[in-house]
Parts: sequence; C-alpha cells; structure tokens
Amino acid sequence: MSYALIVAEVRRGVFEERNLDSIGLGALLGTQAVLLVPDGAYEAGEKLVDAIVKVKAAEEVYLNPMNMGRMLETVFAARGKPDYILFTQSSSGMESAAYAAGLFGMPVITDVSGYDKEGGFFLKSYYSDKVFGQFKATGGPAILTVRSGSFREFAAEKPAAAAVDAMEGVSAVETRTFLEYVEEEKTDIDITKAEFLLSVGRGIGSQDEVAGYEELAGALKAVLSGSRPVIDKMWLPKARQVGTSGKTVKPKVYLAMGISGAFQHIAGMKDSDCIIAVNKDAGAPIFQYAHYGIVGDIHKVRDKIKELAKG
Amino acid sequence: MLEQAATRVLTCIQCGKCTGSCPESGRTPFNVRMLVRKKQFQAAVDEALPWYCTSCGACTIRCPRDVKPSEVIIELRSKLVEDGDIPVALQKALENTFVQKNPWGRSRNKRADWVEKIDFEVPHVSETQSKRLLFVCCIQAYDPRCMVIPVNVARLFHAGGLEFGILGEEEACCGNEIRRIGEAGLFEELEEENKAAFEEYGVKEIVALSPHCMNVLKKEYGDMGIKVVHYTELLAPLIEEGTIKLPGSFGKKVIYHDPCFLGKQNGIFDEPRSILRAVPGLDLLEFSRSREVSLCCEGGGGRMFFEVEATYQRNAEVRVLDAVDRGAEIIATACPFCVMTLEDPATEKGLAVKELSEILMEVL
Amino acid sequence: MNILVFTKRVAATQEEELRITGEGQAVDLSKVPFKVNDWDNYCVEEAVRIVDKAGGSVTAISIGDAESDEVLRRAIAMGAKDGFLVETGEVLHDPFVRGELIRGFIDKEKVPFDIIFTGVQAEDDQFGAVGGVLGGIMGLPYASMVIGIDAVEKDHVVVRRELEGGLQEKVKVAIPCVLSIQSGINEPRYVSIMGIRKASKVERKVFKASEYEKGAPKIELTKWVYPPKKGGATMLDGELAEVCGQLLGILKEKGVYQ
Repeated sequence: MSYALIVAEVRRGVFEERNLDSIGLGALLGTQAVLLVPDGAYEAGEKLVDAIVKVKAAEEVYLNPMNMGRMLETVFAARGKPDYILFTQSSSGMESAAYAAGLFGMPVITDVSGYDKEGGFFLKSYYSDKVFGQFKATGGPAILTVRSGSFREFAAEKPAAAAVDAMEGVSAVETRTFLEYVEEEKTDIDITKAEFLLSVGRGIGSQDEVAGYEELAGALKAVLSGSRPVIDKMWLPKARQVGTSGKTVKPKVYLAMGISGAFQHIAGMKDSDCIIAVNKDAGAPIFQYAHYGIVGDIHKVRDKIKELAKG
Repeated sequence: MLEQAATRVLTCIQCGKCTGSCPESGRTPFNVRMLVRKKQFQAAVDEALPWYCTSCGACTIRCPRDVKPSEVIIELRSKLVEDGDIPVALQKALENTFVQKNPWGRSRNKRADWVEKIDFEVPHVSETQSKRLLFVCCIQAYDPRCMVIPVNVARLFHAGGLEFGILGEEEACCGNEIRRIGEAGLFEELEEENKAAFEEYGVKEIVALSPHCMNVLKKEYGDMGIKVVHYTELLAPLIEEGTIKLPGSFGKKVIYHDPCFLGKQNGIFDEPRSILRAVPGLDLLEFSRSREVSLCCEGGGGRMFFEVEATYQRNAEVRVLDAVDRGAEIIATACPFCVMTLEDPATEKGLAVKELSEILMEVL
Repeated sequence: MNILVFTKRVAATQEEELRITGEGQAVDLSKVPFKVNDWDNYCVEEAVRIVDKAGGSVTAISIGDAESDEVLRRAIAMGAKDGFLVETGEVLHDPFVRGELIRGFIDKEKVPFDIIFTGVQAEDDQFGAVGGVLGGIMGLPYASMVIGIDAVEKDHVVVRRELEGGLQEKVKVAIPCVLSIQSGINEPRYVSIMGIRKASKVERKVFKASEYEKGAPKIELTKWVYPPKKGGATMLDGELAEVCGQLLGILKEKGVYQ
C-alpha cells in the first residue's frame, strides 16, 4: 500500500508547527499519510493523518540521525517502503533526511516549496529564491524536506482520528550521543545570531521611547537592534548596530521601525529572510527592500502589537 | 616600501606636530606620534589603534622631517591585513571589492545604472572624440543619496558643451581607501584593471567626481600620461566665462567645508569657492578651520566601512555645531564622503548638506 | 589530526538579477562573479584552528571546474597544507552524486582523515545535504549545523549544534566522523591578495572526476523557472488593530513568534 511517511519534528515536548507543512504536502501527494512520532504527551495531529506510529524512544534518541536510520528500517520492515519520506526543513529535519538518503541510497530533495501533481515535480529554490528548479526523483522512495509555511493550508482534518500503532524503540548508537541543551546566553548579545530582530531608527524620536521598544522586543521574543543614528546618540550600545559599519545580519525576520532605509543600513540587513518595515513616511527607501510594509505612527503600532501580543 | 618607511621613521624627532594636527587626537586613544615612536623601536602596537586614522594627510603635510606618518599608519595596517586580523566590517568591504569591484558589494553589472536618470545619451569613453573620462566612483554609482551627483555633473557638463564618456561596468574601484586600509595586493589589482581600461580606450583626461578617486588616480597610479582633475576644476572656468549660465537665485547662507582630499592634500580651494560665489544670491560663509586646516569629517581611511571602538563626539557633529554658530543654513562640500558623514548630524540640527552640483542644479 | 575540508567555488548571485535562458534550460551566469562558498570559508578557518592546537594538517578539496583552484589557493593561504582539485566541468546538482564521488575519491586515493568538514550548505544550490549523504554512504557518525566545537580528543569530539530559536544542543560524536559546519562558528581571518599569491607556490594536485565511481543521479532537474511575481513590499492596509494582527500572523508563519 503506497504511503508517505511523515517524520514529525518534536523538540522538548513540542510538536513543531512546521510539521503541518509536511502533513500538508503529504495530503497533496495523495497517498496514505503515516506520521512517525516519539512516544510522548503532546498534541500530535491525530486528525490530520491516516495512521500514527508512536515509537518508544526518548526524544534525543529519535532526533539522532543514525538512530532515525534504524527506526526507519523498522518502519520499512513493518509496513514496506513508503513512496515518500517527509522531514521538516529544520536543523534536525535536514540532518536526518540527508543521512537517511545516504544510508538507504534514496533520492533527496531539500527545501521543497512547491509541488506540481500533473508534472510530477517538486520546486526547489536556488540562489536564495531568485530562481526555482523543477526536480523529479528518478525512482524508489524519495526523501524530501519541506519548507516551513509552504503547504500547511493543505493539512486537512480527516473524518476519523488516525489509527495509532506502537513501535518498539531501537538500540541507540554509541557513536553519537546527546549530552545537554544549551540555552542562548542573555548577557553578551550577538545580534548576528538572532533569528528575529526588532530594529529601531532615528524615527523613534528620543531616548525615552527606547524602553517601550525594549518591552515590545521582549513580548515578541525578538532581539533589539538599531541603525547608526541610534547608536551614535548612545540610545543603544554599539553591539546592537546594524549596517555597513556595524554588523551584517541575516535573521529570519527583520522588523524595522522608524528606519528610513539609508544605503549603509540596508547593506547590513538586506539578506534577511523577511523584512517588515514600519515608517510614517510612505516614501521611505526601506519599503523598496521590505517584503511587508506598514505606513503609520510607529509608537502607535508598537503599542497595539504589545496589546495584541499580551492578549 | 618597508625599507622606505623604516628609514623615514628614524628621522622623526618626536616634535608632535603630527599629533597636534590630527583630527583624532585628544578625542580618541589614537596618537600618531606615539605610533611612529613605536615603529622606531619595532615595538608592539595595540591592534585597534591604527584603524582610527582617517587618512586626512595633515600629519604628513605638517611633518618637518618628511617622516610621512600617514604612510607609517598604512604600514602598520598592512601587517595586520597580512595577518588576517582586521575588523570584520573591513574584511567585508575588502572582500566585496575583490568580488564586485566596489566596497559595498553591489553588482558590478549595475555600476552604470545612474545613467538611466539622464535624458541624453552618456557615451562610453571610447566613443568620444576628447577621450575625456568621467570617473564616477563607487559610492556615487550605487548609493541613492549620492547618485544625484554624477547625474547633476553630467547635466552640467552637457549644458557647458563639455564632452565626456564613462567606463560603465568596466570601471573598478579606484582603490584610494583600499590602499589606505593596507591591502596593497588588492590595490594593485584594481590599479592594473583600471589602467588597462584607460589604455585600451586611449583615455586622455580623467575627471573625477570624488576627491578620493582624483587623489589616487593623480598621485598613486604612476605616470599614466593622462591629465587627472576634479570636476570643479573644469566647471569653475565654464561658469566664470559664462558658458554655463546660472539664471536662478539661491538666497541662502552657505558655508563651505573643504574636503581633505580636495583641499589640504591637493590644493584645490579656490575653484569650489569660485563656483559658489557665482551662484546668484548665495551668501558664502567660512569656517575658521577652513582651507588647509579644514576639520576632517572622518569619512576617509576606511572609516566609512567600520566603527572604531571609542565612543566620542564625532568631528562631523562638531563641524555642524560650528556651522550653526556661524548662522549657516546649508553646508556645501565637494566630496561624497563628507556629504554622507555630515548629513546625519546636520539633519538633526536643522541644517542641510549639499554637494556643489546640487546647488548648481537649483539655479541652472 | 587530519581534517578534510570540502570547499566550493560558487556564483555570487546576491546582488545580481538572474536570467533563465531558452525554455528554462539554464541560468545565465556569464556575467556573475564567483567566490568561495561562505560556509566553506568558516570550515577552513575552524579546521586550521583545530590543527594549530591539536597538531595535524588540513587538506582542502574542491569538486568543480579548473577555476575552482581559486578556492584551494585561498584555503592554503588560510593554513591548509594541501589542496586537491577533483576536476569536472559538469554541474552536479544531486547531493548523492557528489557524495558518491567524494567517497570514491577518498577510497581510491586513500586520503587519510579523522574528520571531514563540509559547509552546512552551498550558497548556490542551498541543498544542505552533501555532508549527511556522505555520512550515510560511508556509515560514519554525523552532526550538522555545528556552531561550536568544544573539545577535540583522539577518539571523539564534543560539538554544539544550532537548533531553532537560539537554542543549541551539545552532542558527543566519535571520530572518524563527518561534520557540517554552520556559518558563525568563528570569525574567519581575512585573506589578503598577497597571501593568495604566496599560496600559489604550494602545489594543488588535480584529479579527474571521471576516474571515480559516482553512480547515476537519483534526482533530475528538468527546468528552471522564475519565482511567482513579487513587486516591492506588500503593504498591510486597514485599521491599526487589523494591521497589527496581520503582522503577528506573519511572525507566526515565519516561525519566530508563537
């Protein structure tokens, strides 16, 4: 029976939202959807797939690519080889997907952001999304990693909850073992390592307003950064400066508030995945580089987001 | 080069005229006299120090013993560059210049995009009779704020019937800042590339828009047999003779800031002033620190590309406050780096900064 | 400690507008400058630092055309002892084919190694899979997204892997192994032009990729297409509350806000 095996990403007891994209693509592929999860207490898409295989393994064992190889073998032995194995496009997903491809000699296509059923091909980004390649797997089960946000709208509730199968754990390898988690250090801020930057510019007006933006950053779990004028005035320390003469950043999200978009600033952040600009001037150059824009009073926007975030 | 610097430092008598004229001393830990002293004894130097230099050239001009402290600084920087131990922001600027031939890393293919804003054809220099090359400069080719300058100057030359052409994508960074950052190898590559283009197209005259470009093309590219000038040197006579007419009026108090690479290092003080005086209604003011002792804006020496460690009141702000004190409404200058560094503090204090061509376009 | 570092010469497309030729046959790279893959630069730096402390040597290997010599010279200028070019004029999209080629080369030429470094991904194809595929093919322990190497012992390393949201995990990996190195693991030294010129004096051995088994491709690139049209910023319109709600929605979608 043809099926798509969706390897769920579970980290610290959280069933990651990105799994919805794998489930969505699984639905598009039109085969039976079987979800593989480590056994644990969390919401795991029971109504979104046809079957769930709960493997008796600690999370750290499950997330180890070599152990995942052994688990996949067990699944194949029990259910036959799937047509597709879907992983999330994430730190662990990419790791296990590539390793499994090597282990089993299966084709692998990463960062899949589109699927054409008729043409039978997957879209994969090249040159940072400037062009896309249409890829086909030439045979056998194909391993895919699925870009976050690309397919979740196709994840649909099924009439009945999925059948749940328990699977015995595998003996964990000793050549790679998990030691511990390391939290982000809160003291020495390195803005180049932040996923989400809230950046403020001259438009915030005065040093008194900085605290309000610090609160917003806290509420959104973003790291606060700034453009040169803000640092020159010493409203923020130098380590927070984004720009040619400061730091070059490439976060997932760059939320710029009150920044006009001077060339030197843009040079320091233009490769961010998603740039959102808020400025009261509709003609501000930053809107040419942003993916999303809001023209408005930045303090009002700040306060409203804080309100909504708390609610 | 190593030997030259070594013998030069030994002639230093530690008089301190260099440090006395340095725009960085007193406000930052940078002390050029002390660095020369350390060089004399081959002593270790704190690696953050050499990066403060803005390449204004005042020390070298004032030195009574021809020690050329600016070259000593470049020497110190070269060692750090070869060791690979330089601020990350500078690395980026150098690597960008290597790949895209401009420190901003913008696409080389877009270097002539500014031409699209002009309604007449700007030919390639090879297609001109005069073989007069307008050397555009990286920041003016790419930065939206500065892009108006080549556009303006092109229009002014056109109005004055002065033929010129450009290299377009074939123009590479002049290398003035690159050499001052200490990357001699990269400077050589840029120099070679540009000189090959000049030769290939039979360039006879180079008109530079930036005093930095003019400086290196004129004095550090060797004897090319090509005349190198700053655009104000061609524009001033055209305006004086009346070939370019300025019918408009510009009733503002304008204070002129002498850029280091135009003024003290190359002696061009009068042409920009002559241009400003020719503007009807313009009230020309002077800083007390003007001409040879003009206060460096701190845009040179690679300082456009990275932040130094010390936090202090920038010269640009001091300059703007001075302009305010003298009742100026506008600070005029003839260098894109001065424009960029002066503009932020100026805007805050309610002053505008205008490059000369911007003022001219308003009265043309 | 013998560390093999794979380094790739890639098109620097960040600032360029790319054109697809024909009916989607190829991407025109004729006017695009080339440079070393950013991730591989971090790899070379990290490897050099490790052998500086632990002794041993770094061998840089590049799979590509003759021009790829550039990245080998750069690696040598940074401190690699050797540079090997596995020359091929073909563009190998399939990470499998690359992995097989590497394994074939290492086996046939008997290249000794304790650790193999690859970059997390290449700037051009951003596949991010060669390291993992290689580890799987060779049956070696593997860790990717390595943001820090905390300990290097004779038989194992302790590394930190970058996860999402600023979190990291520390894992112990036995040697020999394959590690995919994440950018930001260190601050690579600057390599001057003069330094690269000096490195040219060290011989870079050239091998032909055709001499090694690499197997048939498992994936096929059938066509290039442009992304769906995106003109400028999408402006969020509406009442303040609505607009802010939309913004939060975007943040959730991007995975930075829950």
